[in-house]
Amino acid sequence: MSDLNALAQKISALTAQDVVFEAGSRVISQGGSPAPLDSVLAEIDDTVLERNLEFTADTQKINLIVAGRRLRGVLAVSSMGAEDVIGKTVSREEPDLLLAVADLISSICSSANRLTVRSLAPEPFGTGGERGISAQGLAEIWQVETDQAPQTPMGRFLNTNKSAFSAVLHVVDDEIVATFGDFDTLQTIWETQVAAFQARQKKTLNADDGPQLICFDGALEDGTAAALALADEDVVLIAYPANNIGAVHSSWRAIFG
Amino acid sequence: MVVNELDALREKYESCNTIAFADLSTQMILVTDSSSNRRREVLDDLCAEASLLLGANGKLAIGLKQSNSALVASKSSVRIFLRAEDEPNDVLCCICAPTVDAGAFLADARACIDRISSAA
Repeated sequence: MSDLNALAQKISALTAQDVVFEAGSRVISQGGSPAPLDSVLAEIDDTVLERNLEFTADTQKINLIVAGRRLRGVLAVSSMGAEDVIGKTVSREEPDLLLAVADLISSICSSANRLTVRSLAPEPFGTGGERGISAQGLAEIWQVETDQAPQTPMGRFLNTNKSAFSAVLHVVDDEIVATFGDFDTLQTIWETQVAAFQARQKKTLNADDGPQLICFDGALEDGTAAALALADEDVVLIAYPANNIGAVHSSWRAIFG
Repeated sequence: MVVNELDALREKYESCNTIAFADLSTQMILVTDSSSNRRREVLDDLCAEASLLLGANGKLAIGLKQSNSALVASKSSVRIFLRAEDEPNDVLCCICAPTVDAGAFLADARACIDRISSAA
């Protein structure tokens, strides 16, 4: 990861206004977005002082001892079968142990629908002087690309709800940047209706209330619903089955507040 | 009584703080729930928004056909609008907190506007 990119990611994380907490734990991945393993790596990379990071992946928990932006080892796991790796400091000198720990974290976290983290006080761990492995080292083992630009809130909203949508047309600064599904109708709407609608909306409502999700029940063929999502320069047209409205709105609120 | 229907819906949803019954053809709020203390201008804006989203006089907002319900979620509120099944000019306009369970509220509000419209 380049220094500039790393710096940009840290600034993005610090300025994020959509951090969601749940019973004292911070939600770091929901519905696979961002990718759970990316989120685990980011937490390790952000932890300088020694901490016990408790990750909850849906119903499973794993506690990792992390210090100096490096994973030292596994302190505890809620499921059985990990006794061989618990309490041992990982090191590149012991590749079998390192791979076993990486596999264990991956098996618990990689497919989590909801991943949270809680930063707890450290506990005595290990006997050796090994420093553990860096987030970058773990990324290499998992073959995860960490040098990615941070996703915008709209990007997270679209990724999180991909399975709830049947088609998407994403426009930024009047340019179509992404599409999904059968978007022909959405493109026609974009070309013929959106600008006029936004002008009428601006005239009707004077107040600017930030990002908006506007849903129209049964506005498309076969009773499919349409939605217009607006945030900064992002304009997104969405087609979705009408009965997904509750889940779509709930996700919007979690990301945009 | 229309107001009783509006009050019952509002009482069921703590996160709902205004419900109004409006006529799109005249763009007028006819009745609000009995606890609502919104200013007239706010209610007028709400009615204008209903007209914009549900489409008055055959004018489409977004889509291939007029919607029978629309929802606007913003940081400060969720505004929900529903048109009666049998009388296209009868609409329910609701202002809720962002925390409202949109799916459940829409189902109950749909039943509410259809009862009001069919009794009128």
